[in-house]
Amino acid sequence: MSSRPALVVTGWGAVSACGWGASPLGRALGAGETAIAPFTRFDHAGYETHVAGQAPDPPAGLEPLRRRRWSWAERFALAAAHEALQEARLPAGLGAARAGVFFGSSTGGMFEAEELYRAWRGRCLDRAPLRPLAAHRVSVPADAVARSLGVTGPVETVSSACASGALAIGLAARALADERVDVALAGGADSLCRITFGGFNALRSVAAEPCRPFRVDRSGLSLGEGAAVLVLEREETARARGAPVLGRLLGTGASGDAHHMTAPHPEGRGATLAVERALAQAGLEPSRVDFINAHGTGTELNDLAEYRALRSVFGERVGTIPLTSTKGSIGHLLGSAGAIEAVATLLAVRDQRLQPTAGDGEVDPDAPVRLVRAAAPAAIRVALSMSLGFGGCNAAVLLGRAEGG
Amino acid sequence: MTDRSGIFVTGLGTVTAAGVGREALAAQLATGRALVTEVDRSEGYHGAGFPRLAALVPTPDFPRWIPPLEARRMSAPSRFAVVAALGALEDAGRARGEGPDPAMAVSLGTAFGPSAWTQRLLDQILVEGPPAASPVLFTESVANAPAGRVALACRATGPNHTFSQGEASPLLAVARAADELAHGTATRALAGATDEMTPLLHAILHRFGALARTTPGGVEEARPFGAGRDGFLAAEGAAVVVLERAEAVAGRGARPRARLRAWATAFDPTASRVGWGGGSEALAATLSGELGRAGVALDSIDLVISGASGSRAGDRLEAEVLSRLWPAASRPSVVTPKAITGEHGGGFLAAAVLLATGAEATFPAFPLDPDLDVTPVAGAWPGGARRTLVTALASGGGAAWLVLDRVDG
Repeated sequence: MSSRPALVVTGWGAVSACGWGASPLGRALGAGETAIAPFTRFDHAGYETHVAGQAPDPPAGLEPLRRRRWSWAERFALAAAHEALQEARLPAGLGAARAGVFFGSSTGGMFEAEELYRAWRGRCLDRAPLRPLAAHRVSVPADAVARSLGVTGPVETVSSACASGALAIGLAARALADERVDVALAGGADSLCRITFGGFNALRSVAAEPCRPFRVDRSGLSLGEGAAVLVLEREETARARGAPVLGRLLGTGASGDAHHMTAPHPEGRGATLAVERALAQAGLEPSRVDFINAHGTGTELNDLAEYRALRSVFGERVGTIPLTSTKGSIGHLLGSAGAIEAVATLLAVRDQRLQPTAGDGEVDPDAPVRLVRAAAPAAIRVALSMSLGFGGCNAAVLLGRAEGG
Repeated sequence: MTDRSGIFVTGLGTVTAAGVGREALAAQLATGRALVTEVDRSEGYHGAGFPRLAALVPTPDFPRWIPPLEARRMSAPSRFAVVAALGALEDAGRARGEGPDPAMAVSLGTAFGPSAWTQRLLDQILVEGPPAASPVLFTESVANAPAGRVALACRATGPNHTFSQGEASPLLAVARAADELAHGTATRALAGATDEMTPLLHAILHRFGALARTTPGGVEEARPFGAGRDGFLAAEGAAVVVLERAEAVAGRGARPRARLRAWATAFDPTASRVGWGGGSEALAATLSGELGRAGVALDSIDLVISGASGSRAGDRLEAEVLSRLWPAASRPSVVTPKAITGEHGGGFLAAAVLLATGAEATFPAFPLDPDLDVTPVAGAWPGGARRTLVTALASGGGAAWLVLDRVDG
């Protein structure tokens, strides 16, 4: 186990189908509402499924983000980052600070690149517009944030499918622990696009209705879009500048399944390893975990494998730890899922209140988690957020109360 | 406790235009000739004046390494990466383990991900309709498909990351793998990069003005730091290094090839989305600060393996950073392997490891840009550097550097 300084969360921001900002996210999660609905981002007439968690247009006050100079993913990222900085009482220019940006993304500005491809397929590109072409890289959201804030420290995009956002948090934590940065913006951004919607439908993984994780009759996932950013600092430097401490990053862990390209290890071995590593880094026993924000996609294989992983870690106690999946409310945000679910988890920890998993139905008896069905006060000292991705990438993030303990 | 000392490169595997394996690339470096092929223009993306050449991997099949039935389900970047990883393990004298290896991390960089399969999937969706979308194509279209394939092939169950930061992706991936070893979350790692160069990507890069165009002599060539340079040579392939901690190396009696002495990353916020900016002061300050923290004195570096590629703006920025670090009179030798390997894929990373560990090379000669105050090596390079700085400044603003110390014996 590597010893490392205490890391705290001093700000967060989010964009999701619930709206622009962490507040609408928190309100919807607290009420167990779903924002997954018929979407309009692109024509889906040829599909069997027609719902997703599409973010609304930028509200009044964010008019600059209505301009199409940026891809949707960049707009989400910029909004989330600026909200997080405001929360952290940091200036919008971080050039003088030793700051870094660590992001997860699966597709970057792929939606805009797809639009261009539709128009230019098979044609000479000598007059193809440059702006949407430039958006195709997966690093564009992180780069846009760094550019807008004048960041000169490390700026790194990890694209490890659905584990990306959580892995980015781990990278940020490491940069802080190594004192390569004093302020780390850790997050992710992804937008709906045809490649992922079409691809998951091709895998027959998409539910026709909003997903219902861990239910016995679950029928697949729902895709979503948005972004989330955490501002992370070493506690010492945060306190020294009088920053608000909203929560704690206690530990992170990562692993690979090396089992299958899309299906998780049936016994959840890789996920188990990721959780164990996070606990080891935090110096915590499994008994200290009070709440779990599961990856919980709503697919048959994922939820079962994830339950088995949690059972490996927590033993019989797994059936008593309150567990929720945010994906029933906002969908699966792919590369930014780990980031927005970390924000969701921190909201629960801050408010000491369990968030229900949206949707009805009995819990799968083969995956008998203690699924939260109604909001309720709870003593949450330590919470676990899980992310499991294609290619067998797994990540676990442990978050704690601002007060510690 | 973080321990950044004692991290060694023990193996190198490559797939490049020169073929498979370090020997093939070393032979190419010795000749100093870029190995180029005509890019397929049949899809219609290229116009009459578009560049024609790229450094392409000669054959997409590697039956010695990947059974044909398995290879059919893998994109080109995945195949390149798996072959490079298996080759690196072989070069390191490490057998592929029988069971899961939780102490082995995988860290790969990619600028574009599996582009050909992504394009085919999009064609299916847009042209044939959503029901035609292939789940196999989708599985391999994700950027981390190669890293997943490497983990499967090498049974690596340690941390698994895929990084995408343009031209800095390979060095960034190696740096982050080194962090895994330094923090004790792995004792060995497969680190490197993979990319494919499709006709569509080639045309897109030209649309951005990124590619070297035909010289008056009728040749397309990349001329790093050159007068009249107008772009880089596009390339594809993969390179993977095996990184191990000193105790692991000693424990199995392995022969380390180089010590990874320091690593750093940074960003230039003055860069445009796909261009280079003018932030040399901050970049140089970050690099020298990180080198200082690692105890690496600038005057201890005797070779710079520069990521200069022939890009007008990129090479200018690189020159400015080097000038801030060293005045010309005291600057170490600078070599520019991208004139031979091209940009993207793992060729530059692989060449850097070879050059840092003593490989000889021949670098093409051409008139230099008098405004840049950098005189790279032209002609024969006999090798022999002890401490090497490897640089990569990416379009879009990313930057990464490595310092490699040669290990004798």
